[in-house]
Amino acid sequence: MIAKTLLKKIFFGLVVVFYTLFLIVYATPVYAQRINSSGYTIIFPNVNFSAGNPSSAGYDLSTTVGQLAAKQFSSSGYIVKAGFQYLHSIIPFTFSISDISIDLGSLTPDTPSTATTTLTVTFGGAGQYQVTAVEVGPLTTLSGGDTIPDTSCNGGAQTCTESSAHVWTSSTAYGFGYNMSGNDIPADFVNSTYYRPFADSTAPENPVTVMSNSNITESSISTVTFKANVSNIQPAGSYQTVIKFVATPSF
Amino acid sequence: MKFEIGKIKPMNTHIQNKKSIKKFLLTLLLFIFIFQISNLKSNEVFAQQITLSISPPLTEAVIKPGKSILVAYTVSNIGDPVVLSSGVRPFVPQGQFGDLIVEEEFSGPIRFNLENSNIKLSDSFFLPTRQGQQLLLKIRVPEGTPEGDYYYTFFVKNEPGNFLEGATSSQATAVVGSNILITVTESGLVDVQGGIGQFGVIPKYQLTFLGKKFSFFESTDTIPIVLVLNNKGKNLIKPYGTIDLKGNFGERAEFDLIPQNILSQSSRMVIATPSAQLSDVQSSVNLSGFFVGKYTLNTSLNFGIGTENLTSTMSFYAIPFKVIIATFVALAIGILLVKKIGKEE
Repeated sequence: MIAKTLLKKIFFGLVVVFYTLFLIVYATPVYAQRINSSGYTIIFPNVNFSAGNPSSAGYDLSTTVGQLAAKQFSSSGYIVKAGFQYLHSIIPFTFSISDISIDLGSLTPDTPSTATTTLTVTFGGAGQYQVTAVEVGPLTTLSGGDTIPDTSCNGGAQTCTESSAHVWTSSTAYGFGYNMSGNDIPADFVNSTYYRPFADSTAPENPVTVMSNSNITESSISTVTFKANVSNIQPAGSYQTVIKFVATPSF
Repeated sequence: MKFEIGKIKPMNTHIQNKKSIKKFLLTLLLFIFIFQISNLKSNEVFAQQITLSISPPLTEAVIKPGKSILVAYTVSNIGDPVVLSSGVRPFVPQGQFGDLIVEEEFSGPIRFNLENSNIKLSDSFFLPTRQGQQLLLKIRVPEGTPEGDYYYTFFVKNEPGNFLEGATSSQATAVVGSNILITVTESGLVDVQGGIGQFGVIPKYQLTFLGKKFSFFESTDTIPIVLVLNNKGKNLIKPYGTIDLKGNFGERAEFDLIPQNILSQSSRMVIATPSAQLSDVQSSVNLSGFFVGKYTLNTSLNFGIGTENLTSTMSFYAIPFKVIIATFVALAIGILLVKKIGKEE
């Protein structure tokens, strides 16, 4: 009987200790998640020494002292502010394509051919950006007589569009398209079997976003895999097109 | 005799050493020659890498009709030597996350030209590796230009290379742009018509009771707050203000809004700092910590000196589901143990 009472006491004591420990461990103050990486931490991402908005009847000049990249000046009749007024980075907006010549080789009917290139965006601490892609017409022979149409992926329930990727695994599904993998890519590229056709500026169709980040970006890297598959009735020839990747910071 | 042998032996060794050195040197030369040949051959075909940067990434200008300004851009080539050209196209904002579409054709009343002596807009120019080029863009607002906002992207792009012979191929063109936001006004006054479009949390659990919606979270969840602002005016605006959090035990936190541009006739989800989107959920600010009970969120903002202050309030509840479940499990196990020991006794 004494042992039972003792066990009960121990048990309830343990519960109290457990609760106290839990509260000590988890009861941290409320805070917002901070911008950080292995290389840096930005607690308040504005590194000016001072800032203000002096104005008079003739002009309005917002100053940001202590910055390196953004500059601004004012004069009668105009105000110019260069750079992001709330965030000043010494790392410029940089866009890179690892290989601009995408060689799909000699195409064999019913045998898909692929080639890859890597896109890299570097943007210091200044944040939002996007990369769009558009083709200047479908893959076309030099004479312009024959084309390889843009892919519809496997077709049927697995039909892809310029803004929605789908599975393209069938060797009898023909066309030209691309897959994306890596950072900041659209969510519909579920894996390496998901493809989209490029938007065609000659259609005319609007460019489609292939990389974007509405957050702070240090360096984002993605891989574009180009794929072409032709049937045995596709006329022989060298088919070519230009793919335009447009990288812009946000506003 | 022994003496003679001993005298001749070192000489033979010396000759042998010399031969060995000669052989070694010849082999080395042969290797170097083969390496050079193979290296030359491998250099015949190489991937052309394009890496371009542009600065400043954004230019905002308020200009009277009839005035012009000059903006100096620096374009740098960090990749292989490249032939570039520059241009200006209008852009339109897309969605709520600061996306945009650069149009294919030029339109609008604003006039652009390069003031460089040797480079004009759309002219090709060569930029070697690790070299920069300053481009002086003149922006002119002709007399009679209607008041309002005009949005453009100044860009540089590489000229597509030659297509590969006898192969199906595509040439990629890298275009790197910098946005230009121009407000044309005669008086210097701008049209401020901003409003709060959405303010709330993205709830993990939601309960509707008597027509009211209640948002719930587990106490350890990250809480994403969304603040979307609308601009119905004809000029861009910037928000200045805070998002405040109040807990029922007196906890308080304040987050400053980043004064991002909300372009004319568009909406934008603004970001508060310090914050970062570390999850897939797009949000203005993510709260993390241990929350218990009712919390009230309040935003108070304006669009510059002399503009109306806008406010919005909402609340959410955080319940420690995990702790409750763990307690029940612990209690159940404890009771079972006590009962079992009691029976044994």
